[in-house]
Formats: sequence, structure tokens, C-alpha cells
Amino acid sequence: MKGTYLGELEELVLLTVGILYPEAYGVGVMDEIEKQTGRSLNISAVHAVLTRLEEKGFLKSKMSEPTDERGGRRKRIFLLTAAGKRALEEANEMRTQLFNQIPRIALQFRLA
Amino acid sequence: MKHAPPKWADRFLAWYCRHDLLEEIQGDVYELYDRTAKQNKRKADFTFVWNVLRFFRWKNIHKKKSSYNNSLISSGMVKNIFKVAIRNFLSQPGHSFLSVFGLTVSFVAAFLIMLWVMHETSFDRYHDDSQRIFKVMSHVESNGSFETYDAASFGIDVSGIPEITKQAPVITGDRWPNVLCFRGDPKNDCIYITGIYSKPALFEMLNFTILRGEKNPIDREFTVAISEDMANRLFNSIDVIGKTLKIDLWYEATITAVFKDVPTNSSLQFDFVMPVGVFQKLRGFSDESLANSFFSALIKTGSDVNAEVLTAKLNTAPALTESLKRDKVSYQAFPFTDWRLKSKFENGKSVGGKIQYVTLFIIIAILVLAMAVINFVNLSTARATNRAKEIGIRKTTGALRSGIVFQFLSESLVIVFFAFVLAVIATQLLLPYFNSMIGETLSVQLFSGVIPVYLLAFLILVALAAGLYPALVMSSFQPARALKGELSTRASGVKYLRKVLLVVQLSVSIGIVIFSGVIFNQLDFIIHKDLGYDRENMVRLEPTYKLLKQYDAFKTELLKNHAIASVTATNGNPLSLQGHTTGVSWQGKSEDTRVTFQTLGGNYDLVETFGFKLLDGRVFDPKKDTLGNEVMITKEAARVMSMTNPIGEKITIGSSQCVIIGVLDDFHTESLRNEKLPVVIYRQSVLQCSAIYVKYQSESTQQAMEIVRATYKKMEPDFTLNYWFQDETFDNMYKTETTASYMVVIFTIISLVIAVIGVVGLATYNVIRKQKEIGIKRVFGATVTNILSMLTKEFVIIILVASVVAIPFVWYSADRWLSGFAYRINMPWMIYITTFAGTLLLIALIVGLQGFKAANSNPVKTLRSE
Repeated sequence: MKGTYLGELEELVLLTVGILYPEAYGVGVMDEIEKQTGRSLNISAVHAVLTRLEEKGFLKSKMSEPTDERGGRRKRIFLLTAAGKRALEEANEMRTQLFNQIPRIALQFRLA
Repeated sequence: MKHAPPKWADRFLAWYCRHDLLEEIQGDVYELYDRTAKQNKRKADFTFVWNVLRFFRWKNIHKKKSSYNNSLISSGMVKNIFKVAIRNFLSQPGHSFLSVFGLTVSFVAAFLIMLWVMHETSFDRYHDDSQRIFKVMSHVESNGSFETYDAASFGIDVSGIPEITKQAPVITGDRWPNVLCFRGDPKNDCIYITGIYSKPALFEMLNFTILRGEKNPIDREFTVAISEDMANRLFNSIDVIGKTLKIDLWYEATITAVFKDVPTNSSLQFDFVMPVGVFQKLRGFSDESLANSFFSALIKTGSDVNAEVLTAKLNTAPALTESLKRDKVSYQAFPFTDWRLKSKFENGKSVGGKIQYVTLFIIIAILVLAMAVINFVNLSTARATNRAKEIGIRKTTGALRSGIVFQFLSESLVIVFFAFVLAVIATQLLLPYFNSMIGETLSVQLFSGVIPVYLLAFLILVALAAGLYPALVMSSFQPARALKGELSTRASGVKYLRKVLLVVQLSVSIGIVIFSGVIFNQLDFIIHKDLGYDRENMVRLEPTYKLLKQYDAFKTELLKNHAIASVTATNGNPLSLQGHTTGVSWQGKSEDTRVTFQTLGGNYDLVETFGFKLLDGRVFDPKKDTLGNEVMITKEAARVMSMTNPIGEKITIGSSQCVIIGVLDDFHTESLRNEKLPVVIYRQSVLQCSAIYVKYQSESTQQAMEIVRATYKKMEPDFTLNYWFQDETFDNMYKTETTASYMVVIFTIISLVIAVIGVVGLATYNVIRKQKEIGIKRVFGATVTNILSMLTKEFVIIILVASVVAIPFVWYSADRWLSGFAYRINMPWMIYITTFAGTLLLIALIVGLQGFKAANSNPVKTLRSE
């Protein structure tokens, strides 16, 4: 299926949504990424990625209950879908597989 | 919330953001804002704005319409609309041609008028702070009314008016010493060039770009600033600083500057500027007489000052001296930028001038445009029946009314744009002809400055005006009926409106035709009016001092030839007498009577040469005139002085005693816009004359001119002969009127063309619509004449109504225009009748030709279809 390809940032966001379960929303995801990786993203970029992932079917969303924060506005809470979970697994698996194929010598050289 | 983010950014977000996304996006940016605002409000504000801007992405922008409506104006739809528009356009070439041609013609007319109006209104506005420059006008009270002159006393003292920072007299004229004969190389013939005399302040006050030489060129005696053109004509170069020019035979002036040619939109036109001192020396004025002379004067204020305030200050001492006050002179500060268009004064008040023509042509432009738009509407609605089925289909397949309106509006926009492009090209091509006709040098500046914005607005406005009504009508068709072809009931309102529009259009055309007819008659009247003297076969020569000294010999030499009829010398041209005096007194003149007389000084043979009619007494006669104080007066002058038998009466002009020896019939001394004034003709010694008039036999112009030229060369070898034909001088006096009448003729033709297009379009449509009716009538035995009269009847009624509407309007406005002339024709009612009859005939012809084919065609053919 076209569009199931997972970009680097998409993967990162998808993972973060998983980490934050069940409280993942825009600002939360942004903060978590910054905390975990040190990458500071603009909120609009995070939104764009989240909506794209939802369109691809890796995420689903629902509106939270309104809180006092944010001037009483609700958050959109993102959750991983089965497809999202599988995409993460596949990506992870592929990465490990590829990593394992690297000749030991190359790694040593790199570490040296 | 303690802190609030910038409101405008918040509103902007709310405005553009998709509604289903707004809540979360707003929530997130608010959360971020609150977080930062606790530490740094400014940074938070900045981040907020930045975030709002970053969210401004295609995905997040909400689309105005609901998704259903949205699909109506999709790209596919637009494509289809264009395709249908082009097919429609091509399927009826004649019809489309009429629509586009009508619009193009009216656009061209409007563009040309716009260019002309822009040119006329741009006069003298290119100077810095042009609103602060004023001309000083003098009003002289005489006999209870005011005469106005574009002049102020040379010695006017404005030191008491702190607002005035700069002041300069500008001495202009159309003969010596403003027209001088220069030569760059002593071997060449001299060339006559016109210039002005002024003070250095002129270059500070007005923007005349100095190309070479000093910034302040005429600040000392015998210096001259010349134009680029003059430099090129004399020296073929503009690097001429320091060269000297001979002024007449006695003086020399050093060129201190070369300035860029004076722009065409300057009311002051000149090729050289010299200091007033040169003028004074040439004319031999004493300081005192110079100070008392009146010349055109310009003043400039340091800040924006109201003209009335300035006028009031000019009318107090020391600007207005006691002696001027005694002579009943008052000054007025007249805005320099108004001079070009509003220079006509009546009884001391500005009463417009060329501005009237500007307004007239703006009105014509609007009318011509309106007519073209009406045409377009008429032609489009006439076609409605053809398009009805298309609209029916569109509607049944789900088109909304707004979609159809959009379709027709865009169709009209396309056609209007097409016509617009054609018109721009046509304007470009026609401009040289237009220029040579009106004697101007306009250029197409349609795409500079803010004009494109106006043009775009104009395009959209015209497209809307032309397209909206047809769009609304056609989009209102009910699909079921439209598909069955039942339109008659719905379309009756349309038909009615079409007739109303045609009435409007024809009344405008009839109005323009009649009005221009009136203008033409009046101008014809002026040009052929008996002025009281001849102007044919006469030439005016500019004499030099040397020639005047040999005047008698010159005259005798000329008269040896049969081609020369008579010769005289005067100090003024009867066509436009400059000499005015209120200083004439006679026996029995009451103390407070002030009458303006015009004066003309002349020599022997004056009456014979000009062809004045002698009513009583005798003319100047070398044998009888012993004292040199003889004068002739006109009938009007005798009336003013209430003399029943003026011959032999004594009058005083200024301080000299004169005796009346002859009475002449009245003659015109000014533009025919003004009344005849009383005239006194006194005898002047030849040396003080400014012009020699040579009357020659008719049909021998060339021969006479050769003789004049040869004799002149013999007596005055140093100078080139400068001469003007009297009848040409006369024609030039009415240049504005003649130009205007040419333009009126052109736009009359244009409006007629558009009206004809309208009638042709409608007549064609009518014939097509009534084809079956005609067929049936023919079958039942109607003759061709019957059918033609049926077809024309409708139009005849329309013309009748249009005439009834137009005539009172034209009558009123033409009468107002005519009342601007002191000598005017009576309202030429024949024009009204001929125009009416002509229109009737023309339209009958058009409709007849269209109908004739239909009436003659075989009825079987027309009835067999379907």
C-alpha cells in the first residue's frame, strides 16, 4: 500500500505517541521528543506529522474532556492503531535485521 | 489567564483555520504561550505569532464554501465554461464581432479621451510644490464691469507679504523682442526663436532642468539660458556654454546654461530666457516706465496659502500702490495650475475656459462607454433564447444559479478583456493620427504608475455592468420550460428592458449628433463672420528698425508690382488689439465715466489695406494731415461719446489733443466670444510701428510673397523675413474650438457606429425570431412591403421616444454653450429635424436590409424546419 512508508520524523512521533499512551497530544508529543532526543520541533510541524499519520491509518484520535488549562479547550488525544503498532514493529525489525548484517569489522573500525 | 496573546494574531488564526482543527491548534498554541509567558511575556508573544504563522498551511486553511458548493467552481467547471464560451463566440461570428467591435470602439474612444484629459489636467503640475505657485492677475474696473489681464505691475512690491518667498515677472509675447532672429554661425541665415524675459527667481520657482552650465543662469546682464533644441538648431551641440549669441545687431549675450526642452504640458513655452535688463535695453524703456509696465507675474509662497488670503494681501499696500488703486486696479492671486484650464475671465470672475471642453469630453467618454455596455447587454439578452437549452441542461445536471451567474459573468469578462486588449493596440496605432489632428503630443502611458489599477477596476466594472443583467436573466430560466423552448412569457420583461436600453442609447446618439451639429454651425458662423475688415490675401511682416527707417522706399518698391495691392504699417493687429485705454476724454464727459477704448496706431493706407468701411469724413491723408494729431473712431466710439456729428470734434487721449477726421463702421477686435469695443485709430509714426501689412491681389500669393521676400532681402540683408498670413492668425485664435470640433466629429461618428451596431444586432435578432411569422404571413399573401413595415414599426416608435427624450436635453445644453459667445447663431432647429429624419432613414435602411432577405426567402423553407 502506498503511503505506508514511515519517514524518520514520522517514526519518531509514532514512537512518542506510544510512549505517552494514553495522554499523547500535540504539545505533549513535542515536549517528549525534545526531552528524549533533544530535537526541538515547531508545534505546527508536530501537528502536520500527527495528521499525516492519522491519514495513513497509523493513529486514531479522540477529543479529551475539557480542562481548565488552555482556556478550556479540549485536546486531541492520539492513540496507536493496530496498523501503527505493526508499522513500528516492522520498522524496528528491519532496523535490527539490517544492523545485524553490518560486518563486525566495520563496527569496530567505527568504534575505534 | 493572566497574560493574553496578541489579539490580532489570535483573530487571524481563528479566521483562517479550519473549524474542525481550530480547537486543538488554538489549545496547543495557548498552552505554549502560557508556559512561556510566565517567564517572558515578549518572547511568548513573539512565539505565539510565529506559531500562528507556521500553522498557516494549506491543510489548515478552511475553505469558504461547504464541500458541495465548492465543487461548483472547480477547475473542471472553469474549463468547461471557457470551452463553451469560445464555442459560442465562434459559432456566431457576426454576433460576436458586433459585441467585441462595439466595446473596442468605445474603449478606444474612452482611452483617447482619457489620455487627452490626463494631458490637459497635468499642465504645470510638474513643478515642485505647484500648488504654491500663483499668477498675479489684474482686474481693472471700467464702466461698472471688470476687465481682467494676466499681468501685474513690474514693480510690484511683495516685501510686505511674508508668505511670498519668490517672485518673478515673465515677459512673454509672440513678436519682437520675444521672437528674435539668432544665428549660430555668422554665415548662416538667422532663425526666429521665441523666448521669455524674466528674473533669476524663475529657475528657483519652476522646474526647468539645467543640462549644462549654471544652476542660476540669468543672474547678470547679457546672459541667456537656451533650450536643448535651440542649442542643437544653432550649434548642433548642447555643449555651448560660454558661446555668445547676437541679440539683434547691437547686443551680445553669453550662453550660461542649456536647459531641457520645456515639457509640452507647460503653459509657459519658450526656447530662451534672458534677464529683464536685455528686454529693457531692446525696448528702450527707462527704469521708471519699466516699473510701471504690466507683465505676466508669478509668485511662490513658502507654505500652503489659500488663494483668497493671498489675494487679500496683494490688495493692500505696498503691493497695490495708491496710484493703482486710483486707476481702479485690483490684484488676484490665481493658482498657476488652474491657468491652463480656467483662464477665461468674465467681469473679474474666472468662468472656466478649456475645462468646459474637458468636462464635455469626459461626459462623451462616459456616454460612449454606457452605449457600448448597453449594446452588449442587448446583444447578450437577445441571444438568451439560443442559450436557454444549454442553461436548462446545466441546471438539470445540478448547476446552481450562482454557478450560471458565474459562467455568464466570466464570459463577459473574457469578451471585455479581449476588447480591451484590441483597444489598447488600436489606441497605440491611432494615436499619431489623433495627435496630429488635435495638435498635441500625447503618448500612451496606460501602464505606468497607478493607472493599471484603475484600468483593472475599469475592466471589472465594465464586465460587471455588461454581464450582470444577462447573467441574472439567463440564470433565472426554469429548466423544464427552457428545455421545452417556452421562454416567451419569461422573456417579455427582458424584451421590454431591451427596448428601454435601445431608447437610452439612441437618445444619447441623437443628442451627440445634434450637439455637434450646433457646435459646427457656430464655428462655421465665426469663421465666416464678417469682421468688418478683410483678412484674406494679407500678410503681416515683422519689421526691423532698419526696415522701418526705409519704410517709404520699401512701400514704393512693393507697389511697383501689380500683385501688391496696398501696404500699411500699424502698432497692432486688428484681429486681437492689445492696446486698451481708459484715458480718453471728450467734451461733456462726466467725471466718473470710465470707458475702455481700444486703440490702434497706424499709418497711411490703413483703411484701404484692411478694408474698413468709412462712414463719414476722410482717412489719413499725407497731403492734409499737417499736425499728426488726426484720429478716426468707430461708430460705437461715437455712440459711447454721444457725438452725433463727430467730424472735427476734439478729444484727448492721455495728454495729447486729437481731432476726429473720420468715422468707421464697427469691427471686431477680439475673439467673437466678446462684444465689440469702441476703437480709436490714431496716426503713428512709422518708426513706432510693429508690423507692416501687405495686401496683395487674390490668387497671386506666391508671386506676391516672392516680391516681398526679394524686396526685404534688398533692404534688410541681415535678417530673415518673418511673416504671418492674416487668415492663419485668425484660424489660430480659434484653435481650441477647432480642435474641439474635430474631436466632437470623431466621437459623433463613434457614437453613431455603436448605435448602428446596436440596431443591427437587434434587427438581426428580430428577423430570426420572426422568421416563421414572416413565412406564415407570406403564405397568406402579405407583400414584401407589408412585412418590412411590420419589422420597422417597432424601431420607428423607439426612435420617436428617443428623440422626445433627447431633444430637450440637447436644446438646453446647446443653448448654454452658445450663450458663451457674444456673437452666436440662433438655435439651428433644422439640425434637429435633419438628425431625426436621418436617424429614421438610417435605421429603416438597416432594418429593411435585414428584413428584405427574410421577406424574400421562400416561406416553404422557413416553415419546413422541425
